[in-house]
Amino acid sequence: MIDSPLVVHNLTKIFPPEKKGGRPFTAVDDISFKLREGQILGLLGPNGAGKSTTISMLLGTLSPTFGSIRYFDKDFAKHKSESLQHVTFASTYIKMPWRLTVWENLKIYGTLYDVQGKVFDQRMERFLNFFGVWQQRHKTMNLLSAGQVTRIMLAKAFLPYPKIVLLDEPTASLDPDIAHQVREFVKLQRQEYGVSILYTSHNMEEVTDVCDEVMFLKHGQIVAVDKPLNLARSVKTARMRLLVKDGLKRTQKFAKAQALPVSIEGREVIIEIDEQAIAQFLEKLAAEKISYSQIAVDKPTLEDYFLQMSKD
Amino acid sequence: MKLHRIKALFLRHLYPLKRDFDLLSDMLYWPLVDTLLWGITSQWLSEASGQASIALAILMALLLWNIIWRAQSEVSRNLIDEIWNNNLVNIFSTPLMVREWLFSVMSLSVLKTIFTLSVITTVVVGMWSANILFFGWWLIPFILAMVTTGWWVGFLSAGIILRYGPKMQTVVWTLPGMLLPFSAVFFPLERFPEALQYVSRIVPTTYIFETMRTIAAGGAVDWGTLSMSFVFNFLYLGLALWYFVSSFRYSTKLGLGRFN
Repeated sequence: MIDSPLVVHNLTKIFPPEKKGGRPFTAVDDISFKLREGQILGLLGPNGAGKSTTISMLLGTLSPTFGSIRYFDKDFAKHKSESLQHVTFASTYIKMPWRLTVWENLKIYGTLYDVQGKVFDQRMERFLNFFGVWQQRHKTMNLLSAGQVTRIMLAKAFLPYPKIVLLDEPTASLDPDIAHQVREFVKLQRQEYGVSILYTSHNMEEVTDVCDEVMFLKHGQIVAVDKPLNLARSVKTARMRLLVKDGLKRTQKFAKAQALPVSIEGREVIIEIDEQAIAQFLEKLAAEKISYSQIAVDKPTLEDYFLQMSKD
Repeated sequence: MKLHRIKALFLRHLYPLKRDFDLLSDMLYWPLVDTLLWGITSQWLSEASGQASIALAILMALLLWNIIWRAQSEVSRNLIDEIWNNNLVNIFSTPLMVREWLFSVMSLSVLKTIFTLSVITTVVVGMWSANILFFGWWLIPFILAMVTTGWWVGFLSAGIILRYGPKMQTVVWTLPGMLLPFSAVFFPLERFPEALQYVSRIVPTTYIFETMRTIAAGGAVDWGTLSMSFVFNFLYLGLALWYFVSSFRYSTKLGLGRFN
């Protein structure tokens, strides 16, 4: 059994200059990683970090400049069709032919993967019902909402019993309840079939909920790989909220004097401070005779990590 | 090559016919308008000149030209349709191979050409009693040559679009149009300005239309002339396929996603 159905080694993409005399652009810079069987690996990074470029190379719609991609221990460049039989994708940003109905579109994709006849019918009925779009199956794609299209794309991705699914912001245009449904569906597919999933999203709570591990890309390079909570914990700065009865301005001045970022919202002072230094800070505050009625400390989240890492 | 993937592409391009008037008008409406226009014109020319073969030659030329048009259109238009539908990445991120796509569009072009041709032929024979079967077995090489020309024109324009993007999509319509005067479709080659005749001689369809007019006028077929058409056609088809595949590779260097 192959432990890692996807192994990426020194993957690099350098785009040629757009104009004569311009500079080539390195979108993905020498990245290596593995996707384990049944793993959900988050791919995070600010815009332009190289996430979409990486996914395009993993789908074979963009050729790498250097490096290798191995699916199921076979070189993707040499076994593209064979590999893609088990690799699918869904993206909020890719559409389907608008003149075709949902059913026709999915029938075409099913046939491309040789999922036909009763197997196709049963699977589609199950997926479309799960996503609440069964009633829309005979509608042409142009009559569907963005959220419905996204759900159809997900059904398409999981239709041919994939071993690996690449999901590019699968919940970007969905209402919270449907987004939750999608997350549950993704987790269920992993649980039932051991599908490995590469997951990109700008919703950090979602990534924390769904992903086993997160790989953070910046300027085309992998800058961190860890569990979402570990990445969040690596952010030392917490957000401390103090509801100050008397001495709002003095508190602000006091925090500024200690070079701490501070802001005021109503009667609440919000101070960004190292978790370890909170106790000491409160002691000093008491010495200054500043009293507060409530205190809350927001633990760093993956979003904080994202914001910290996205800063240049 | 896998049959199920070819079937999938057939479904992809046959399903829209159920509800897309654009495609139906390409397949039926315009060929019928052409047929009526040229049918009446050729009949009038025939009566004015007293030569019945003129009408037959013009109507036959019209039929053959429609074969080129349909064959090329199925290749290049199917590609541009995927681009318009934001579907290129969807299609080529599946196990589908480029050679399966090529085979599918070539087969589809034959299928749709047969359909268009059947309708036009019925009208031509029914309305003007043009005896298409007068050309006998020569119809087979004529049709074969026209389909081959349509394919290489289609692959050439599809390759240009893949390489330079949708801004060049006009080649789907202009490239075959450029071939029209140089092929001496509706008039003998000798009527063409002498300098331009050199260009016509490297256009494979010229030899077919010349041979067709010779037969219509009761002359003997020159095998050398006819074979020149196939030599050029197969050479151009090979080059156009090579160009298409190389453009596809070039396009994946920049990413198929750039068409979205």
